Formats: sequence, structure tokens, C-alpha cells
Amino acid sequence: MATIRFEKVQHRYPNAPTAAVHDLDLDVADGEFMVLVGPSGCGKSTTLRLLAGLEDLTAGSIYLGERDISQVAPKDRDIAMVFQNYALYPHMTVGGNMEFSLKNAGMPKDERKRRVAEAAKALGLTDFLDRKPKALSGGQRQRVAMGRAIVRNPQVFCMDEPLSNLDAKMRVQTRTDLATLQRQLGVTTVYVTHDQTEAMTMGDRVGVMKDGVLQQVGAPMDLYDRPDNVFVAGFIGSPAMKFLDGQVRGTSVTAAGHEMRVHRSGGYDGPVVVGVRPEGWRLTGPGDGIAVTVGVVETLGADAYLYGKTRVDGGIDGGGADVIARVGNRERIGTGDTVHLTTADADAVHLFDRETGARLS
Amino acid sequence: MNVSRTERIVNQLILTVFAAFAVVPLLGVLLSSVTPANQNSGGFAVPESVDLGNYAEAWSRGNFSSYLFSSVVVTAAVVVLSVVLATFAGYAFARMHFRGSSVLFYLLLVGLTLPTEAFIIPLYFNLRTIGLTDTYWALILPQTAQSLAFAVFWMRNQFRGFPGEIIEAARLDGCSDLRLLWRVVVPPSLAPMMTMAVVITMWTWNEFLLPLVMVVSDAKRTAPLGLAFFQGQHLTDYSLLAAAGVMVALPIAVLFFALQKRFINGMVGGISSR
Repeated sequence: MATIRFEKVQHRYPNAPTAAVHDLDLDVADGEFMVLVGPSGCGKSTTLRLLAGLEDLTAGSIYLGERDISQVAPKDRDIAMVFQNYALYPHMTVGGNMEFSLKNAGMPKDERKRRVAEAAKALGLTDFLDRKPKALSGGQRQRVAMGRAIVRNPQVFCMDEPLSNLDAKMRVQTRTDLATLQRQLGVTTVYVTHDQTEAMTMGDRVGVMKDGVLQQVGAPMDLYDRPDNVFVAGFIGSPAMKFLDGQVRGTSVTAAGHEMRVHRSGGYDGPVVVGVRPEGWRLTGPGDGIAVTVGVVETLGADAYLYGKTRVDGGIDGGGADVIARVGNRERIGTGDTVHLTTADADAVHLFDRETGARLS
Repeated sequence: MNVSRTERIVNQLILTVFAAFAVVPLLGVLLSSVTPANQNSGGFAVPESVDLGNYAEAWSRGNFSSYLFSSVVVTAAVVVLSVVLATFAGYAFARMHFRGSSVLFYLLLVGLTLPTEAFIIPLYFNLRTIGLTDTYWALILPQTAQSLAFAVFWMRNQFRGFPGEIIEAARLDGCSDLRLLWRVVVPPSLAPMMTMAVVITMWTWNEFLLPLVMVVSDAKRTAPLGLAFFQGQHLTDYSLLAAAGVMVALPIAVLFFALQKRFINGMVGGISSR
């Protein structure tokens, strides 16, 4: 069983003031596609490299199945990696690149050729086997990097932002190809990206990281519907959730002068951070809701996204709060217009602690 | 950048003048080497008739077949030893962590600063004690050591600039350290290695002081030494001298011209990896 377990994993770079990965506990199931996502410097790549054995653990352990691989050399971990810049061997052909690992393992030539041909077929590389990397496009090189990992039949795939060097169109295409391939092969995969769209569309589960700490792990929609803290709430979902200063009492919360209903089972009354996703807002008439001056309107066919600021002070740091609202495009709202927004229902309102950012509702 | 016509002409003029400084003496020697002996008065002059026999005569009179053979043996050994050892050492300094690596490296760099004159006498006595004087080893070993100072520095630089991800990928592909070095890191690095080899060839071929001190018997003399002796014996035979000079300088010049594209790429370019 190719399950992965990170236990209290810590990595600190020499002479660094803080740990790059701090006290990480994470389980990945056999065959699962786990995506680690977060902003630059959050420790996701470091976590991946710790798994692959390219960095040493400062503390903690990593298990692959029942085996403790914390001290095992990279080549003995049975883990294959796809690098962001592909890291292809420039002096070898595509075929040579793909069979290199098998050569090192002492596999006989016929078996090597068979495996390479199989992987090449799956990736559409059969016509390119004799070419060198410099004669390939970015997308082709990326597929060779995948092929190099696939022929090894490893227990785990590690992928470090494999799509970030591709153009937008290729990225979308390759995303689906990758997800399909992983499902076919059924290999446990840990995938690192800074793009939350990739995380949401590709992952069975997603782990959000910030400053070396794992913020929340769960299925994409769980993270979307019930983010554990302000950071996850604002990171997952595009366009992002925006926040207002609010006061909660019982099941109603007041923000920017307007009262909204919220689902909660009692507890704390007082100042809170209120988060509403763009689709959580509804247009309402003047005299009701929160007055928002529209700055930018993005029309996307049937819908439009309004980017604006509240007229009344409602921001967390004082002043007008940023608001993003999704409305039907029939309204034809323009820049400079004032709209009034209210929340559709209590599910749309998320409450977070002012000090810690943790979820309250 | 738009260069005005005047500036371009002035540039060309300056370059021509300096090129002339470099080329004219060489041209003079070439012309002198094909000038019949009775017409040659030294100095730069275009001969009335061409006599290629000068070369044949200088060759046989000067025993140059022996001298060139010695030079080839010594140079080849030094270059091969230096390249192989520097590749190992350069990689270790660049990519491996071991205690004392900084100290060792700086010690090696000190070797770059030492002129041969500074240690040649003690070296002679050391080698005489172990009975190596007047052998090829007395020329190969010290010159390898000297070349290694530059070569290790050079290879360390090259390997430092090598994309780390490719090395990591190779490790994940189950590659042992030795295989990694020679099968993954060296092949894309061949151009700068070639440059280094050519430079070491040039230095070793032209080395004069070391063979002068270490070698007594005529059989072990290298070409520059042979040329100096020949010069001593034929002080006013300008044609012969010129022919001999050309013969000793020619191999390196040919090597350079044959490899010049690679040579320049190796010096200026890095390692192309994408």
C-alpha cells in the first residue's frame, strides 16, 4: 500500500530564523491525488523535496506504507519526481532520458525498450523518441518528464509545479491529461502548485500551506464551503472571498451598517471578521443592504463580477472595505454606480475570529 | 546602438594597427623560414625565391623528431591526467559537502599564484632524491600539479553552474555518484572541458624552465628546449632558425584553429541545458 504519512515533520534551512516546514502532520491515502497549495515560500516545495529525499528532515518522520523512509536515500525510496523545469538530460534523446532510470536498475534491454515504448505511447511521444530535449516544445518536454517518471512504475509521483512553465492553453489541456493519467495509473501522487485553480480541479484532497504550516486539508469543496481560517478562505476560490469588520450577536452579524443572518450554534458575541464569497451577495434596493461604489466591472457573458468599495467604513483596517460580488449581467451595472448588496442566505456568511483568524461559525 | 561612420572607421583603424603588431612578426618568421639561406639577412623581407628545404634541413640537423616526440608524450600525459583528476576534484568541490573543503580549495588556489621559478630548485633536489630526474615523470608530475590548480578551479566553476535539478533527477533515477559525474554531468560540459584541455596543452607544450632544469639527456628534451639548443648552434642561420621556430609552434596553432569555434564557445558560453 503506497500510503504516505508525515509525522511532525520539520525542516529548517541552515542559519534560517524560522523553519521552512513546521510540525507537519499529513496522511495521503493509496492512489490519492493530494495537492499542496499555497503562496510562494509557504513550504510546499520543501515538503515535496523532503518526501523525495532531496532535503534532510530536521525533525519528525516520513512513512511510505509501513516503511520509515526518513533516512533512506532518494534512489531507494521508489519515488519518482517531475520537476518544474523538467530537468531533462540535455545530451540524451527522449528515449535515453526515459530509460536512464531503468538502465541504472540493471533492467535488460528488451524490457527497457518495452516499457519506454508503452509510456511513449500513453504520452504521444512515440515519434519523438530519437529527438534531443532542445528540439522539443515546452509541452513535449513536460511529457518526457512525465514519461521518465512513469516508466519507473514507482509507488509515489511527486510533481513540483509541472504546469507553471506552460502557456495558458497548454496548461488547461495538460491539466486534464495529467488528472486522467493519474486516475488510470492509480499511483499515489503529491502535487505542488501555487495555482488554486489547479488545486481545486485536480486534487482528491487539497492541503493549503502558509509560512511552513499546514492550514487545512480536505476535499476541494470542503475547503471552499468550510474554510478553517481567514487565510484558507481568502486563498481558495476565484475571485476571492473578501472580508468585512463585523459585530456578531446571536445569529445575526452587523457589518458596514447592515445586518445579516448567520448559521451558528451560539458562543462568542462581539467583534468578528465577516467573509462573503462573490456568489453570496444579492442585489437589493436602496435603503437596504450595504452600499457599494463599483470600481471595476468584469463581464463574463451571463454573469458579471463587480469590484467595489463599501461607502460606509467596513474594512478590517478601517476605511471602505473591498467587496467582490457576482451578479447577473442583465443589470448592466457600470463603473461609478452605487449598488446595494445583501447576503442571499445564512450559509453565505462566514465568521472568523479577529485575533486568530480561526473559523467561528 | 547606432555607431557613427567615423567611429566605425576609427575602430577599424585601431584594430588594424594592433592586429598588425601581433601578425607582422609572425609573418616575418614565416617569410624568413622559406627564404633561401644566402638571401636571408634577418629582419622582415619578402624573399625573391621560396626554399622549402629549410624545413627538412632544420628537422634533421636539429633532431626535432625526437624533441617533438618528447613534447607530445609529456603534453598528452599532463592533459589527460589533469582533465580526469580535475573533473573528479572539481565535482567534489562544487557539489559535495565535506569537512575542510574550503581550506583545501584555497590551498589549491595558492598553487595558481606560484611561479615555477619559486620552487624549481627544491623540486629538482626532491626529484633527484627519488631518482626521477632526467625522466618524463619529472616533467609530467610537476606540470600536472601546476595545471591542476587552474583546472580544478575551472571545473569547479563549471560544475557549480550546472543545473542542480538535473543532478537531483539523476539521483532519483537511481544513479550512483560516479555514474552521475561521468554520464550525466560531464557530457553536457564537454565544451568548457575542451577549452581547458587546449589551454593546458598550450601551457605544457610551451613550458621551458622545467625541462631545462630537469632534463639532461637529449632523448628526453622537449621541443621548446630543442629549439633553444638549435638556436645556440645556428645563431646566424636565420632561415633555419625561422623554420625550426615554425615547426615547434605549428602543432598548437593547428590545434587552436581546428577547435577555435569550440574553444571560444567554451570560454564564453556556459553549459546549455534546456
